[in-house]
Amino acid sequence: MLPSYLTMAAILFCIGLYGALVKRNAIIVLLSIELMLNAVNLNLVAFSKYGVVPSLTGQVFALFTITVAAAEAAVGVAVLIALFRARGTVNMDEFDEMRR
Amino acid sequence: MDHFTQTAWLIPLFPLAAFLLLTALGRSYRKAGVLIGSIGSLAALVMSLLVLFERLGSDAVDYSNSFKWIDFGDVTFRIGFEVTNLNALMLVIVTVVSFLVNVYSAGYMKKDERITVFYGYVALFTFAMLGLVLSDNMLIFYIFWELVGVCSFLLVGFWYAKPAARAAAKKAFIVTRIGDAGLLLGIIVLFWYMPGHALDFSNIHNVFNEGQSGAITMSITTSIALLLFMGVIGKSGQFPLHVWLPDAMEGPTPISALIHAATMVAAGVFLLARTFDIFEASAAAMHTVAYFGGFTAIFAATVAIAQKDIKRILAYSTISQLGYMVMAMGLGSMTGGIFHLFTHAFFKALLFLAAGSVIHAVHTQNIHEMGGLSSKMRVTTWTFAIGTLSLSGIPPFSGFWSKDTILATALDENPFLFAVGLAAAFCTALYMSRLFFIVFTGKSRLPHSVEVKESSKVMTIPLLVLAVISIGAGFVETPWNGWLGRWLTGGAEEAHASGAAIVASIAVGVLGIYIGWLMYGKSSIERGVTSARMPWVANVLEKQYYMNEFYAVAIVKPVRGLGKGLNAIDEYVIGVAVRFIGLAAGAGSRMLNRLNNGQTQTYGLTAMIGLVVIIVAIVGRRFW
Amino acid sequence: MTDLTDLPILSIILVTPLIGLLVVLLLPKHRNRWLQTAAIIATLIPLVLSLWLYADYDKHQGGSAYGEQNAWVEVPLNKETQASNGVTSYTLTFQYDVGIDGLSLPLIILTTLITAMAAFASIYVKKRWKAFYAWFLLLETGVLGVFMARDLFLFFIFFEITLIAMYFLIGIWGYFNRERAANQFVIYNGLGSAIMLIAFILLVNTAGFHIDQETSSFVYSGSYADIFRNLTDPSAWVNLAPDQVGGMNPFHMSDTMQTVIFLLLVVAFGIKLPILPFHTWMLKVHNEAHPAIVMIHSGILLKMGAYGLIRFGIVLFPEQAKDWAVVLASLGLANLLYGALVAFRQTELKLVLAYSSISHMGIVLLGLAAFNEIGLQGAIFQLVSHGLISALLFLIVGSLYERTKTTTLSELGGLARSMPFISGILLAGGLASLGLPGMSGFVGEFLSLLGLFDTQPWIAGFSVLGVILTAVYMLRAVMKTTFGPIDERYLAVKDARLIEALPMIVLLAFILLLGCFPSVLTDTLQYSVEGIFKPLFSSRMGG
Repeated sequence: MLPSYLTMAAILFCIGLYGALVKRNAIIVLLSIELMLNAVNLNLVAFSKYGVVPSLTGQVFALFTITVAAAEAAVGVAVLIALFRARGTVNMDEFDEMRR
Repeated sequence: MDHFTQTAWLIPLFPLAAFLLLTALGRSYRKAGVLIGSIGSLAALVMSLLVLFERLGSDAVDYSNSFKWIDFGDVTFRIGFEVTNLNALMLVIVTVVSFLVNVYSAGYMKKDERITVFYGYVALFTFAMLGLVLSDNMLIFYIFWELVGVCSFLLVGFWYAKPAARAAAKKAFIVTRIGDAGLLLGIIVLFWYMPGHALDFSNIHNVFNEGQSGAITMSITTSIALLLFMGVIGKSGQFPLHVWLPDAMEGPTPISALIHAATMVAAGVFLLARTFDIFEASAAAMHTVAYFGGFTAIFAATVAIAQKDIKRILAYSTISQLGYMVMAMGLGSMTGGIFHLFTHAFFKALLFLAAGSVIHAVHTQNIHEMGGLSSKMRVTTWTFAIGTLSLSGIPPFSGFWSKDTILATALDENPFLFAVGLAAAFCTALYMSRLFFIVFTGKSRLPHSVEVKESSKVMTIPLLVLAVISIGAGFVETPWNGWLGRWLTGGAEEAHASGAAIVASIAVGVLGIYIGWLMYGKSSIERGVTSARMPWVANVLEKQYYMNEFYAVAIVKPVRGLGKGLNAIDEYVIGVAVRFIGLAAGAGSRMLNRLNNGQTQTYGLTAMIGLVVIIVAIVGRRFW
Repeated sequence: MTDLTDLPILSIILVTPLIGLLVVLLLPKHRNRWLQTAAIIATLIPLVLSLWLYADYDKHQGGSAYGEQNAWVEVPLNKETQASNGVTSYTLTFQYDVGIDGLSLPLIILTTLITAMAAFASIYVKKRWKAFYAWFLLLETGVLGVFMARDLFLFFIFFEITLIAMYFLIGIWGYFNRERAANQFVIYNGLGSAIMLIAFILLVNTAGFHIDQETSSFVYSGSYADIFRNLTDPSAWVNLAPDQVGGMNPFHMSDTMQTVIFLLLVVAFGIKLPILPFHTWMLKVHNEAHPAIVMIHSGILLKMGAYGLIRFGIVLFPEQAKDWAVVLASLGLANLLYGALVAFRQTELKLVLAYSSISHMGIVLLGLAAFNEIGLQGAIFQLVSHGLISALLFLIVGSLYERTKTTTLSELGGLARSMPFISGILLAGGLASLGLPGMSGFVGEFLSLLGLFDTQPWIAGFSVLGVILTAVYMLRAVMKTTFGPIDERYLAVKDARLIEALPMIVLLAFILLLGCFPSVLTDTLQYSVEGIFKPLFSSRMGG
């Protein structure tokens, strides 16, 4: 059972990673990051059920992660809105402040 | 009994103390400077005479004493002094000439503002030379050997503002240094092959003389001897390293007398005498020495005929006479070499000091600008004449006896070198009579403004003393009385008595002087006879066989070129390589810099790739 | 022995310049005289103490009396690979471990002496005195630390301190092209340090590993003593081949590995020395830095390279050193002749002296390559002697430059007329440099060549050429400066002031002292040099 969950999570993670690294639209990047987090959640739950030492801890962790992810998404969207107001765009290519 | 012998180590310390005192005092105490220098050398002279007298007794024992200088446990270098009859004789030669030169310089250098410095250098030289004479092993010998070289350098360049003096001093140092490098290598080779790594002369004597030399093969012995002989060639102005000595005449004349005639240049001959056993153990080395000496004798004598600078003539004469000494050594006659060294030191010092007296009076060194000085400078003329006769080998002056000893040996050992020696003796008589007649007889060719008068007493008295010694010194060894040889070598060597040699030697001497008189005194033979008939001969001789020009082309230029080439390599090959590496690093950094574009996504991608590489590396290791 | 032995005298010597540094930092920045006085005092105290060390040094026992050790850094490592035989912990330790032996004591005295003299010579520093003396004193601590450190990590840190201090000293107070020179300096030497660090890490990882019997723990030690002991002990982990212990031994140092480490060390310290193709940075430093700094650089810093080469290269890897002796000797010969020939063509006095340093370091290499007691003694003697001589010569160059505003040979000449004292000392220094007997240069040269002749006679034979060439370029430079007709520009210049003359006389006195009584130095070296060759010819030959 475990391998199929893990494969599923890996596929999800890769899609998320791809989106996070390649997509131009910042909102899609944020969504992709959520996707990766969910892939991790899936892993946590799968391991807590089918792992070597099954216990509830993993599922509790998944709950925590979901909460944190929600908070993170909120902050992320807030930053994004602030950026959009300042720069008038959500195109990732235009955000190269880190170069300076 | 041998009280003075045991305290002989004090002798060099007097001039050293004088040097230190003079250096500390500085330039201002002119009178005191002269006094201190002279007293220092006088004290050394008195001590040396006492040592010599003590050793004149037949049963004098060699005495040596030393202390550790560098101690490596199993290898020890020592510093020490040794007194043998040879050393005692050298001590006296050095201190006599040194003292007289000190006195003479009081007059000659009177007007020089750096007279105190001059006396300091002379005292330092005397110290070094005495140290060289007394040294008991090769290493300490080498140390003093270099020190006398440096003193010679300082004194040749004493008038440092003159570019000629600067060039001469540099040349003197570097050319002798070439020989010294050989000597140093010789000492190193000797060190590793001597049993027990002993470098002292008594051990060298034992190993090479007493048939123990089986430990050292013939080829090694020969190479050691030849390397040591390189040092001799450099120091004693033998062909082909003689070129520095004529140039060294740029120094003050008393220095030419002391260093470049009587003492330092004879150090090479002294080295031959000290390490005679090494040379004797190798026939090849002995032959080399003899032929180098013989060639130098005739070579330099011919050059002297065509020179016009009074000091240069005497310098070439010195080279030629040193050639005689070296030839004598090579022919196996240590007595002959040392005897000639002994007499030559006095009559050549005399000639130089007399020449100095002339130069002091007429302010030129060109003999063609002098003439007719005999009436105005009687003492100088007479003493110079004595020196000339002695050098030309006319009996009973000392030069005759020593030259005869050498020629008699040559007649026994090697007729060819005997002929060479005779020819050189003829040339010697010729150039000396030429010099004498041009300078002291005939009409004065000096400008009228120059008022010629005899030098002061302080300069003429040393001349008189040296003249007396030059007359008398030859009687310590005559064909009928081999006293010096017995005393030096402990009775091993007999006097070579040969009527043929005596007759031939007197004949060429008289003939040389006679021809010289005909040409330059009576003028019955045209002076320019050679230059008219065979201009190239006169030219070659005057240019000293183009040796300086040859060295300039064959050695100085290539070394300069090599330096230039390497400098270019340094600048262009290594420099460019360094710059290229710098540029490459810059280019690389610019390339990597493009990754840093401020795009978060690029950063993430890079990090991702890095992670993958690390994972592959870690996981991959399992499978290799 | 006195009570003073109980004091941590080495640490006191190390810390005194740092205290001086604090004092300098507290002084007002425009008071040049105060600052210099403070610096001079802060350098004189270590000088006196190090001379006292010399007086107290027991020549027959080596210098172990003055070791100081303190645990400094202990990094516990994870216990995953912990073995079963009762081992409780597994640590990486570096110690504050300083000590002296016959090898380092002369170099420590050389350091304290030359820095003190350089402090005197700093009268012509013209700006930012406070920063100058601060870096200056830091540099002294760094160099002293290098010579005292008995722990690889500590050694490395002190080595880097000298690098940084030197970088600023060259870059701020030098001549026209100073920044370029400083950059080249730091790049080359940084590279050298990096290579040295690699070699050190490899050493600590293999030879530094042992089991501490007292605390029964596995230890990776940076301590020089531990590494030396392990390398010479055939039963240490580092010397056990994997098949001897049945399988894996990650601590084993194979022959290839030993050679690699040895060569890394040669390159790392060779850059500092400098060995031939790596020498260009050093020319720039000699030419551009302030003379007082060049005194220290040429006099001491170059010696760190040779010291490291002996301490780590030859002592730890004698067999490799022996195998590579021909290469070292050839490099030495190349340095000697190349430096001399190129020096002969230079038109700038400072560059002549720079190339002469290259040439003289060639003699050091020759002495090392001789691989016997005499040669090694000669090499170390040459180190000390060259330190003194080049410091003296650059001291003079500094004084000359202040008066003539140029050190180009063609513009100088006849200076003996207006500055007899400085010219006399310059001549004496030149003669010392060309190896005149009676001065220290000769002893080093002679012993090096003498030692080399035993093992590599041909190279020794060719090296004698260097004796001639040295005379050629040295006399050329010195005589162009002081002999000949004087330029009227220089007629009015004054001779040395007392504060300049003093260090010149002191340095010359030391040169003469070593030249006339070399046993002052050789006896000190004797025990340690013997110690280097003793284990070599007994226990290690089997491995």
